[in-house]
Amino acid sequence: MFKRIVVPIILLGCLLINLTGCGGAKDTIKIGLQGPMTGDYAYEGKGFQNALNMLVEQVNAAGGINGKQVELIVEDDAGDPTQSALVAQRLVDAKVVAVIGAYNSTATEPASEIYNEAGILHVTPSSTAVRLTTKGFPRFFRVCFLDDRQGLFAAKFMQEVLGAKNVGILHDNSTYAQGLAEETKHYAETLGLTVGFYDAINPDDQDFTPILTKIGAANLDAVYFTGYHSQAGLLLKQSAELGLTVKWVGGNAANNPVMVEIAGIKNAEGVFVTTEPLPKDLNYPEAQKFVADYKAKYGEEPDSVWTIMAGEAFNVIRIAMEQTKSTDPATLAEYLHTQMKNVNGLTGPILGFDEKGDRLGTIHVAYVIDATGNFVLYEKQPSP
Amino acid sequence: MNLSWLSRFRERPWLWQSGLILFAILLPLPLGDYYRTVAWRTVLYIMLGLSLNLIVGYAGLFQLGHAAFYALGAYTAAILNLQLGIPLFWTFPASILVAALFGFLITRPILHLRGDYLAIVTIAFGEVVRLALVNNIFGITGGANGLSGIARPRLLGLEFRQPIYHYYLVLFFLLITIFAMRRLENSRLGRAWLYVREDETAAEAMGINTTQVKLLAFVLGSGWAGLAGALYAARITVISPDLARFMESVVMFCIVVLGGTGSIPGVFIGALGMVTLPELFRPLKDWRDAWLGVTMVVMMIARPEGLWPSRRVQLELQESEAPHG
Repeated sequence: MFKRIVVPIILLGCLLINLTGCGGAKDTIKIGLQGPMTGDYAYEGKGFQNALNMLVEQVNAAGGINGKQVELIVEDDAGDPTQSALVAQRLVDAKVVAVIGAYNSTATEPASEIYNEAGILHVTPSSTAVRLTTKGFPRFFRVCFLDDRQGLFAAKFMQEVLGAKNVGILHDNSTYAQGLAEETKHYAETLGLTVGFYDAINPDDQDFTPILTKIGAANLDAVYFTGYHSQAGLLLKQSAELGLTVKWVGGNAANNPVMVEIAGIKNAEGVFVTTEPLPKDLNYPEAQKFVADYKAKYGEEPDSVWTIMAGEAFNVIRIAMEQTKSTDPATLAEYLHTQMKNVNGLTGPILGFDEKGDRLGTIHVAYVIDATGNFVLYEKQPSP
Repeated sequence: MNLSWLSRFRERPWLWQSGLILFAILLPLPLGDYYRTVAWRTVLYIMLGLSLNLIVGYAGLFQLGHAAFYALGAYTAAILNLQLGIPLFWTFPASILVAALFGFLITRPILHLRGDYLAIVTIAFGEVVRLALVNNIFGITGGANGLSGIARPRLLGLEFRQPIYHYYLVLFFLLITIFAMRRLENSRLGRAWLYVREDETAAEAMGINTTQVKLLAFVLGSGWAGLAGALYAARITVISPDLARFMESVVMFCIVVLGGTGSIPGVFIGALGMVTLPELFRPLKDWRDAWLGVTMVVMMIARPEGLWPSRRVQLELQESEAPHG
C-alpha cells in the first residue's frame, strides 16, 4: 500500500507546489538576477542578492522607477554553465526586461547568448573575461573593469605616485600573470616609461637569486610582479637578503596575507599591491551610503567588491530607465552606449561605456603593507 | 493484481515503443525554451545513464568516476574545434575514441579489482582528470575557467542554435543508443556480462574471457559517455572542469541504481528523478536539494531494487516463485 499509493501522492503534491509557485502578474518592471546562490561561489551570490534586495526596496519605497514598482526575480545558476543556460531561459520566459549577472565568466557566457537572442538588456557585475564583449552583443554591458585595466593602473601608479622612470615587470608564465604583465608593459611604454627589465620566473622556482641579481643590475625605480602571493613572498624575502632597494609592487594575485607571512613583516613593509578595493575603501559618498545602508540592514559590511558592483549594475539600469522614461531594452542599450557619461555611480564615476559594452576607466587602487603586516589603502593614488 | 493488459503490451512491444518515440518527438513542440532545455538535459542524462548502465548494470562493475569520460568527450570536441577549427559534428567520432581509449588505458590495470576497491580507484581517476583539466594540462584545457567559444554545429546549412534543435539532436542519438543497448542486451556479449556479474568464477569456467568482456563494458560505456560530452559541448558552447566533478559521477550512478540496475526503462525513471524533478523544483529555492536526499532515503527503504528493475531480474524472480506450466 505504502509504495503504490503514498509515494505517488507525495510526489504529486510536490509537483503541485511547484506549479502553483508562480505569482500573478502586475504592472511592474521585472528585473532578473542570475548568480551563484549555491555552490563554490555562494558567498558572492548572496552578496548580489542582498545588495539588490536592498536597492530594490529603497527604489520601491521611493515610488519605483517611472512610477512603476520593480520586481526582482532571482535565479540560482550555481556558477555552472549548464544551470546558467537553464535559468537564463527561465528569466526570458518570466519576461524580464533586464538581467543582472552572472558572477563568473563561465556562467555569464552561455547566458549572454540567450539574453542576446531574446533581446534583453544584460549587465554583468563581475565577469571580467575579455572575450565576453567581443561577440558583438549590442545589449551586453559590464560595470566591472576588464583584466587589462589593472595594467594601466599599475603603470600610472608607478609613474605618478612612485615617480618611477625606469620600471621592471616580472611574471610567472601563468596565463593570467603573463597577460597582465603584457598589458602593463604596453601601457607603461604608452605613458613614456622605460621598461628596463621584462622577464619571467617559473611557477615552481624557489631560488630567485639569478633573476634578482639582474633586477639589481638594471637600475630600476620599481618592479611590478604580476604572479601569485607565495612566490611574491619569497621574492621579497630574497630581495631583502640580497640588499636590493628597488620598490616592489604586486598585482592582485599577490593580495593575500600569505605573502606577508612568507616574506616576514620587515621585508614586506612598504610593498604595494594593486587590486580591486574593498567596498569600505571606496571613497565616494554613494559608496559610503551603500556600505552604511548595507550594514544597517544586514548587520555586516559587504566584504566583496562584487557586492557593490551588483548594486552598481542595478543603478545603471535604473538611471537608464529614468533618463529614457522607457523599459525597452533597445532604448536602454542605446542610452548606455551613447549618452551615459560622467554619472556618479556607487563605485565611483561612471565615465561611460564603449561600443563593446565595457565600462571606461578603472576601479583598481593601491594598498601598502604597514608596519604590522596589514594591507592598508595607500594615501596617494594616481589620477583616474 | 491482474497484469493481463500489461502482458498484452509486452507481446506487442512495437506498440508502446512507437508510442513513446512519438511522444518524445512531439514533447517539445508545445513547450517554451526553458522546458525544452530541461527536456534536452534529461535526454542527455538518460544517454549518460545508459552508458554507465553498461558498466554498472550489465557487467556489475562499480564505476564512480564516469563523469571523467563525459568531460573527456566534451574537451576533445572543444579542443579540436577551437584549435584546429574542425566542425563540431566531425569531432564526435574523436570524442568517442578518446574517451574509449582512456577507458581502456585506465581500466586495463585495475580490472582484477572488485566492488569497493574498484569504486575507490574510479573515484580517484575522476579526480585526476578534473585536476588535470583545472591545471591546464598541455596548455590546452584553459585551466579552471575551461574553454569557451565553441562553434555551434551546422548540418546542411542549418545552425544548431535553438534549444529544440539540440533536443532533437540528443534524441536522435538516444534512439540509436537504446537500439544498440537492446541488441547488446541479448547478444553473446550481453549474456557474457550477465554471467560475469552473477558469478565471475563460473563464467570463466564456462569459457568466457572475463577480462576481455569486462574491458569491453568499460570501453564501450566510456566511449558512449564521451559522445554525450560532445553533445553537451555542442549545446552549451562553454565547458569547465566541473563536468568531471565527483557529484556528476554520483548523479549518473544514482540514475542507474535508483531506476533499477541493468534496466533501460529504469534509467529513464532514474534520470527523471535525479535530473528533471530537481530542475522543476527550482522555485522551492534552498529546499530543492533536500528533494534528492529525501528521495534516496525513501527509495532505499521502499524499493531497494530500483523503481523499474531489469526485466530479466523480474522474470527470474517470477519463475522462481511460480514456474510456468
